[in-house]
This record gives sequence, C-alpha cells and structure tokens, in this order.
Amino acid sequence: MPAGADVEAIISVLGDRAATADRSLAAALELRPGTANNLPRLEVASHPPRTMAVVAASERALGPLVATASRSGWRTVSGSAESIDPLAMTTLLLDAAVSCVLVGASDPPAADERRALGELAALVAAAAGRRGDMTVVLSGGMSEHLTDFGDIATRAGEVLLGPAAKRGAPGGPLADLLVELALPPNDARRALGAGAVALAEILDRRVDVVEVGFDAGTRASAAPGVAGGTPSLDLAVVPSAALAPIDPDDSVVDRVGLWSTWGADRHRLRDRLRELRLAPWADTVGDGVTLRMAAARAALGRLKEWTPEWNDRPPADLIVATGGAWAVAPAPAVALALVDVLRRPGAGQYALDHSRILAPLGSIPDADERRAMIADLIDDILAPLGTVVTPAGLHAGRSAGSLVVHGTDGSTRLDLMPGGLALIDLPPGTSAVAEFKFRDSVRLGARGRHFAIDVTGGLGGLVVDLRDVPLKLPDRSDLRGELLESWQTAIVTGRDM
Amino acid sequence: MSTADVRLVSARRLIAAPVDAVFALAPGDRPLVSAGDSVVLGAPIAERLRDPRLDEMEIPTAALPHPGGRWVGLPRRGDEQGPGGEYVFDWHGRWRVATGDIADAVESPFAGIVRSVRPGTGITIRAAGRGIRGVVALGGPTRGRLQAGAEGELRSGGLDVGSAGTILVVGSRVDAETLTRARAMGVCGVVVAGLSSKERRDFIASEARQRAALHRLPPFAVLVLDGATRRPLAGAVQAVLAALVGREVAIVTDPPTLVFDLPSLVIPDPPIDLVRIRAGSLAGREGRFVRAIGPRRFAGGVHLEAGIVHLPDGTTAAVPLGDLERFI
Repeated sequence: MPAGADVEAIISVLGDRAATADRSLAAALELRPGTANNLPRLEVASHPPRTMAVVAASERALGPLVATASRSGWRTVSGSAESIDPLAMTTLLLDAAVSCVLVGASDPPAADERRALGELAALVAAAAGRRGDMTVVLSGGMSEHLTDFGDIATRAGEVLLGPAAKRGAPGGPLADLLVELALPPNDARRALGAGAVALAEILDRRVDVVEVGFDAGTRASAAPGVAGGTPSLDLAVVPSAALAPIDPDDSVVDRVGLWSTWGADRHRLRDRLRELRLAPWADTVGDGVTLRMAAARAALGRLKEWTPEWNDRPPADLIVATGGAWAVAPAPAVALALVDVLRRPGAGQYALDHSRILAPLGSIPDADERRAMIADLIDDILAPLGTVVTPAGLHAGRSAGSLVVHGTDGSTRLDLMPGGLALIDLPPGTSAVAEFKFRDSVRLGARGRHFAIDVTGGLGGLVVDLRDVPLKLPDRSDLRGELLESWQTAIVTGRDM
Repeated sequence: MSTADVRLVSARRLIAAPVDAVFALAPGDRPLVSAGDSVVLGAPIAERLRDPRLDEMEIPTAALPHPGGRWVGLPRRGDEQGPGGEYVFDWHGRWRVATGDIADAVESPFAGIVRSVRPGTGITIRAAGRGIRGVVALGGPTRGRLQAGAEGELRSGGLDVGSAGTILVVGSRVDAETLTRARAMGVCGVVVAGLSSKERRDFIASEARQRAALHRLPPFAVLVLDGATRRPLAGAVQAVLAALVGREVAIVTDPPTLVFDLPSLVIPDPPIDLVRIRAGSLAGREGRFVRAIGPRRFAGGVHLEAGIVHLPDGTTAAVPLGDLERFI
C-alpha cells in the first residue's frame, strides 16, 4: 500500500484479506471482516532526520566529527574556524533547520586547534544563548569550555559532554551518544537495531541488517552474547544514504547513473530522482523499477562509505535486507544489489524482510517479549534469498576450479569460470554442503584452495559470485548497462552468466 | 465507488490554511516587527544586509551588549542615522558586530500577524488568507496580480510587457530563458506545474549572478506545484487558480506556497472519487476512482496494489494505487 494512504482504510482492507485467507486463524483472533480497526495496535515510524551543525577549530579535527555525526542519524552542515569566517559560522548555527550543534576538539587539543578553541567556544556559546532550544554537544577537548555556556541548568536545550571523535573509526561512544539524541524512542530505525539483536540471539548467528529507506540508510550489526554474555549491537543511521536525497547533487546523480541500465542523461536522471523523492511510491513499473534499483545501489554505496568500520569485521552469517527501496524489486535481485555494492570475500546467507516488520517487532519494549514474538514468527518474517559465496583473488581467463554441491538429492558439479555468476538451484528450506576446489589460493573468509561450506537455499538459490572484488564495471555506459542487465537477468531467471 | 477504497489513494490537500510563512534572517539583518504585530500588505518587516561583515569593536559595558542585540554606531555627520549592526559574540573584551553598508528592505507580501521574531534566524508571519502548497519555490517572496499564461509550455517569445507586475500561471513547464526574460520584463512571479532540474539550475545560477550585482533585484519567485517532469496542472488546482485570476496573490518560499486573501471565495471540495494519475503512461490524466482491485501484475513483472479508474474518454484503466493522488 502506498504511503500517504489513509491508515484506517489500509488496516481495514488488510484485515479483511487476512480473515478471508486464513479463516481458522481469524476465528481464533475473533477477526471478522470490518473489525480489524478494533485490534490493539503497535505503532512505530521512521522520523525525518534533523540537522546538526558540526564545528571545530581545524579541518583536521572536523573530519572525524562529521564522519561520526553523519552515520549517527543526523543530517550535517559543517565548518571549521579554518575554512569559514565567524560570521558564516554564526549564520550556520542560527539556521532555523539546525536543532543541535556538535563542537569538538581532539583530546588533548592538538597544536593547530588550541589557538582557535577559545574564540570558537565563545562563538558557539553566544549562538547557543540565542537558541535556547538547541542541544549542544561538547566533544573531546572542547569539554573544558563548558563554563562558557553559563548556567546550563536553566537552558531548555541540553548541553552534553562527549568523548572525542576518532579518526578512521566513526563508531564508538560519541556515535552512540549522537544516535541517542537523534532518534526518538519509538523510531523505526532504532527499533531495527533491537530487532537485529533479537534475531541474532534467536538464530545464534552474527546478523547484519541493511535498510535503504526514504530518509536514510541503516546498518545494524548484531552478535549473540558469548557464554551467556550480553549481545552486541552496532547501529549506524546515515541520512545521506537515503534512496533519493532531497537535493541530488552531481555526485549522487553520477552514482545512480553508474548503476543505471536506463541510459538517461544526467539532467533526466536528476529529474527522475526528484520525482522519486516527491512521490516514492509512484512510478514503480517499467523504467521506475530500474531507476529504483539503481538509486538503491547508489544509496548502498553511500551507506558503505559512511560505515568504514564494517569492512574490518568478519562477514555476518546472515544479511537481512529491509526498507522501502526493495518493495518492488524481484527478491533475488535484492541479494544481487547487496552483493554488488557491499562486496566482501566470504560466504553468507541473505534474507529479505519482505513485509518490513522487523522494525515494528524490534520496537516491543520488553526484550523477552520481543524475542518470543520474533522466534514465533521467524519462518514468516524473512524471505530466504539464498546463500552467496564470493571468493576473491581469482585469475581471469581460465577455469578457477570446481564446485560440488552435496545435497539431499545427490551431488551437482560445476566448473568455476571467473567474471560471472554461477547459480545452483537450491530451493528455500533446503540445505547442502558446497565443496570448492580452487586451482589457486583464494580469499574466502580465510585464504586457501579447498573449502567446504554449509549453504542454505532461497529464492535465488546458491550464488557463487566469481566477479571481481571490488566490482569492476566498464567505463562505457552502454556496455555497463548491458552487463548489469545480464547479471540481473541471470539472477532473476536462475541461468548462469 | 467505495469510500473506503478511495481512501487507499494518497491524499493531497488542495488548500492550506493557516499559512505560516518564514522569512529567513542572517546575523546583522534588522527585524522591524515584533511578535504579535499586525502587518499590512507591503509593510517592511526587516532590513537585510546586502554584504554583511564582522567588525571588531570595544563596547562599553554600560551599553549592555548581548548576542543578538542591536548595535547603533555614532552618525558620521549631523543628524544622519548612525550605522547599525548586531552583536554576535564577545571575545577577549571585544565584541564582534555583524554590520554592512547597504541594507535592502524586506516587505511582507501579504497581510498577517507576526508569530515570532528570532534575530539572525527568521520572522514567522501567519498570513491572513489561504494558500496552495507547491513542492519548491525559487527566488524570494513576491506578490502581484495573478494572470493566466500559456496552457502548455511558456516560451520566452510568448511574454509581453503587459504582464509586468503580475504572477503568471504557466501550464506544464517553463525554461530558464523564459524565467529570466520574465523577470527582466517586470513579471513578479511564475506558477508552473513542473520545472526540470536543468532549468532550475540555470535559473538559480542566473539569480546568483544578478544578486552579485550591486543593484537591488526586484522581487521574483517561481513556484513549482508538482515536480520536475512535464505534466499539466491538476484540474482542482486549475479551478482555484482560474478563480484567482486578476486578484492580488503572493508567493512565499518557506513553505513554498501561493497565498491569497479572499475570504469570500468559496472553494468547493473536489469530488471524493476524483483522482489524478501522477506517473506512468497516463501521467497527468484525471478520472473517477471506481474500486480497488488488490494486487495486480504490471509491466516488468511487478505486483502492485491497483485500482480501476474511469477516464473522461469513457475508457477504464487499472492503475497502481501509488501512481494515484486525490485532493481533499
């Protein structure tokens, strides 16, 4: 159902359909046609990201702050004392759209920052005094200037102290603090993190959830606790990784163009992206699907760029795709989009949160109740897309080796030719052992030549991705479009490429 | 037609009321109104510095300076008004003051009541009237007499000097050259269904070049009602605009709205089953919503919730619900 439709009407129609589809369940729930609107409701919504002004004394100090804020649920505007004058910085802070300011310094402040810190603190304190409702976060060495902000107890907006941002590691305690500030308690993206943790605990596996939505992209990495310990969660919400950014600049348009099989020029592509922003549920047939998938891949690329710490982690056992971006895509194509962009050597299962219910379930406040609910629905909430095996370090031009899949119905042998996708039909609910024998040593989690991997089936079956890591695409747009389309066709129809 | 079914179509408000318009201010700009003030059409509400700068000054404590407060300097000679500015922040006993040599008056394009004034941030005025919301407005607040323009695409050759002082309604699309010429000929604004990204960028660049010049620009705005691709104005919107032809209207940019103050103008609610197709091969056409038909397979193998729409030519079409919109 399109967003913007009347919620009561949607509930009524869906309730009636559910009652017709499963009469025994409807009877158990006492659900009769026209009564769905009376059922108890759990409401959760993703909220538009707010804007944070990020300022620092030097460009060197500003970089890590922006990297941290941009993956923590905030749209950012930024400037340093080196790059903009105090008047421009004051204008930045007083902008009506800005609801929070992050002002930071290294801890201890570096030599290039020290001279400007005092004036910067005075400027920010003066702006914060004029905007009493604005939240202020003093990070790292800037905490020493707390007294400049006067009696913080009398302000409507909070003044908070945070740790310094770390270069090259945008996650961590400061990111956690900013996420807390950014997302309201009933926010769907926050709930996605809780849902991922519950999923990881139930399946006892490392789970990555990747969402591409209207206002932001989200990455949640959850792992079950070891030996009864607490499970871990890392949540990154990146507004610039939205499906269609508010004002698509050249870099956004070019990136969409890179993944597009449509062949439109930059201006037409920008027009279509603006239309996608204005009416995300419209134009979902024909070219619209192609554009949406290209925009989703571009958004995934931006999500990957703002979450570099994910590259250093072991690959997740299960990758779950969710979000409105995938709503109209054929299910196997979703796995291909994730594999195309978030490329890492290794093997993993892919699944689709097709009804986008993981976030609502994650919003259940009680952890035990949440786990029980997800465990009860686990077979229904995730559509298995299959297993993708991505070896890296293959030599092009000759056979890389062979694969034997030992299933319940016998074995299937396949020659592995680098540069394409090898597909083995493995229906949902089945499992097998894939035995790889490579001619040369490759990277597949670890480095080696022989691997035996447990694989499970799905709508896309078993996909052995023998393309380059990272993916290399032709420069010419027509060749690139043909290649992308052939991969897409292969994965949707199940024919090798 | 089922009322419940048509509610599955996204609704768009035809008339917005009340309209709270925001006029952005930068540090140094001087608000001339206070919260609660009543403003009339054309009343100056602020002075905007054209080229603001930050001066460093020693201010005696007796002047009670504070961030956001007004600084008034000594007159250069005689009874002249002294230079003005805004205290920004104090550092090492010296105040940074935002000031400038030339200030332009910002006039309210409609009558209304000032809701809030935040120096350095903006003035919010609640318009005495109603509005038609657009998706974006380029330029600055403006007002003029509404005039019906070309029904399809307006070309620069189609403009004449008789349109000076008006806000032109253009059917489906307009290009940057026409917009630039319209501004040069004294047209106050343009209302259009779609403005492509290229024309938008060219027009913004032209505006920026004009602003870089020393002389003050006449107020001019482009209000885009629908999006970036070519499509005709919605019938319900066209009907309201037709009723406003010859009347004084205003365009504000935040939120992008066409404001009109005609309490006597009765705008009937559009028929509940009237829907407009905003995307796809039938984009721009309007019809009567017959019923929702559930998921249906469309081109490309996509299954989408759909509805049957009866078109004025007597045909019916199954259209994805996401491609439809209705006005309320």
